[in-house]
Amino acid sequence: MIENFIAGSSALFGDPFTLAIFFFGVIGGMLFGAIPGVSMLTLAAILLPFTSDLSPAQGVMLFAVIYCTGTYGGAITAILFNIPGAPENAPTAFDGYPMTKQGKSGKAVGAAVLCSAIGGVASALVMMAATQPLATWAIRNIGPPEIFALVFFGLAVASSVGGRTIWKGWLSVLLGLLIATIGQDPVGGINRFNFGFADLAAGIAFVPAILGFFAVSEIFVQAEKRATGTFNAPKVGMSFPTLFELWAQKIAVLRSILVGFFCGILPGIGATLAAFMGYGEAVRWSKDKESFGKGNIEGVISSETANNAATGAAMIPLLALGLPGGALTAMMVAVFQMHDLEPGPLVFYNSPDLIWVVFAAMFYANLSILFVGVLETKTILYLLKIPFQFLAPLILLLASIGAYIGRGLVLDVMVMFLAGIIGFLLRRSGYSIPGIVLGIILGKIGEQNFAQGMQMVHYDIVAYFSRPICSLLILAGVLTLGVGVYQALRAPAKKA
Amino acid sequence: MGKLTKSHMIETAVWLLIAIIFFGFTFEFNQPIEIYIFGATGWPRVVIGLMLIVTIGNFYHHLKYGSTIQAGRVGIADDDEAGSYDNLAAVIKVLAVLGTPFLFALSLKPVGFYFATPFFIALIIVIFGERRWKWILCITALIYGLLLGLFMVVLNAPLPQGNTSPFYDYSALILRLNNDLQQLW
Repeated sequence: MIENFIAGSSALFGDPFTLAIFFFGVIGGMLFGAIPGVSMLTLAAILLPFTSDLSPAQGVMLFAVIYCTGTYGGAITAILFNIPGAPENAPTAFDGYPMTKQGKSGKAVGAAVLCSAIGGVASALVMMAATQPLATWAIRNIGPPEIFALVFFGLAVASSVGGRTIWKGWLSVLLGLLIATIGQDPVGGINRFNFGFADLAAGIAFVPAILGFFAVSEIFVQAEKRATGTFNAPKVGMSFPTLFELWAQKIAVLRSILVGFFCGILPGIGATLAAFMGYGEAVRWSKDKESFGKGNIEGVISSETANNAATGAAMIPLLALGLPGGALTAMMVAVFQMHDLEPGPLVFYNSPDLIWVVFAAMFYANLSILFVGVLETKTILYLLKIPFQFLAPLILLLASIGAYIGRGLVLDVMVMFLAGIIGFLLRRSGYSIPGIVLGIILGKIGEQNFAQGMQMVHYDIVAYFSRPICSLLILAGVLTLGVGVYQALRAPAKKA
Repeated sequence: MGKLTKSHMIETAVWLLIAIIFFGFTFEFNQPIEIYIFGATGWPRVVIGLMLIVTIGNFYHHLKYGSTIQAGRVGIADDDEAGSYDNLAAVIKVLAVLGTPFLFALSLKPVGFYFATPFFIALIIVIFGERRWKWILCITALIYGLLLGLFMVVLNAPLPQGNTSPFYDYSALILRLNNDLQQLW
């Protein structure tokens, strides 16, 4: 492994053009992740046609680097503006934004930088050592019933975070699941809930929905605060966390690496669920549960470690099985195909040089978060000093362009603003915006895997429980749900 | 009526309405799928059914405890409470903020991004309380220039051009200028 890693590093650093592409990916991923309204997916979609002019190794490496640094970049806007750059940064905002309001933005971003780097580097190391054996294990043990069970568990965790009651948490998740049913059904391709709009046959794209529920609704909330005289300007804090503060969170970091890696390895699940589950587990094991959501640094650390730990793991099903785990890894499949290659077990034998350049680049990209991230963060923190009346139109327009670019539909811009209004109203009533978004993202995956699983077990639901991983995940989901309902039926804690 | 308020009743009614409307629409695509016995309606109807059950739970919570937060909940934003609208100006301001982006989205098809954007930027700045006209003009020009520079010149991203004259002609002019600029390089 070490010889292969050295060979991959030499190929990366030995060619100035490959190195330039690497740095372009590092900075581009961070910037696009950090600009409210556009994301690493926007950058990747724009770059996709140009990769045909690159070598296969350069093309795949560029996307892998953007994946690593873009996953971190979205944390900056989540912490500074309560606008996650991508869904995988949504739980980061739970505690990151309250920290910003307390003048601890530097500490929150510093923790995100360090833990994204740690999670990503750990994940890259495990990816290098274990891609082949883990892929073999996953082929044998993970099927549609397990993926459905994990989606159920993930939704149960999401419902227990964010809403004022378990009922509001679940209503948020169910609204997301209902929105996800708009468009063609994943089994028979039958149009559902298109309400007479032909464009809705393709469903509600998740990028406009995320932008609407997070970015646009945040602008509306800020506007309301200004109009009603309740606005408190966030304070700029440049003090980074001390080593002692970070060392105290070592268990949270280790736990989140494991959670992130497990979620990342499963096709179609990826970093979003990893971040939610990392956050959920941090709350579950904490002695001070009440402090989460009010500026607990452990919330930022858990979410950011888990989502970056999922990036390396997400490469395992892609490279070993040819199964993309999310939108960006799906674009990587397109890069392979543009060069007449197919990702899968044979790629290890046919193109080992490509694999090790990508592995080495991901390792160094995660490491570079530490150095480039700190410099970039110090610059971006000054964004907080720009008066909001000048920042608001920029955020709204970037979001509009981000929503439009994906499919070239004005309908998506309208959906985004409608989602913004709905999000604004639901937030005031104590519903969970991340719950809605996770419902939208996981809805189709859950339905598809449930249908495939049922066909696999000949519609015998009991057979689901004969599979150990599946029954364990369903049990964990039911327990999470049961605890929430039990707490809801007891006397509530405080007045809203 | 326990601790129920008018807003709790409206909230429950909205959820029930969503469930009823969506359930009604499931009959539009209630066709069998040969390879899947639950068909296209199975999953959405389960989601709607669960939504009904949870709405009842939510209603029960409101009835018994009002708007109290459940014990042990985490990740709840402290600042999402509604502000108090004690004057008409505040109501108009919030309605303007909610409505203006939607009008902008509606205008994209006929008017196009290139023409509608500067007006949208200036309007949002004004609604957010800026009254110094020199600042409004300068910031509008700066944001417009930044967006055109990044998305039109650097990234060549296709943006809505509008389909009515003279707005379409304006978009065509901007794109022609961009084309001339690109050829200089």
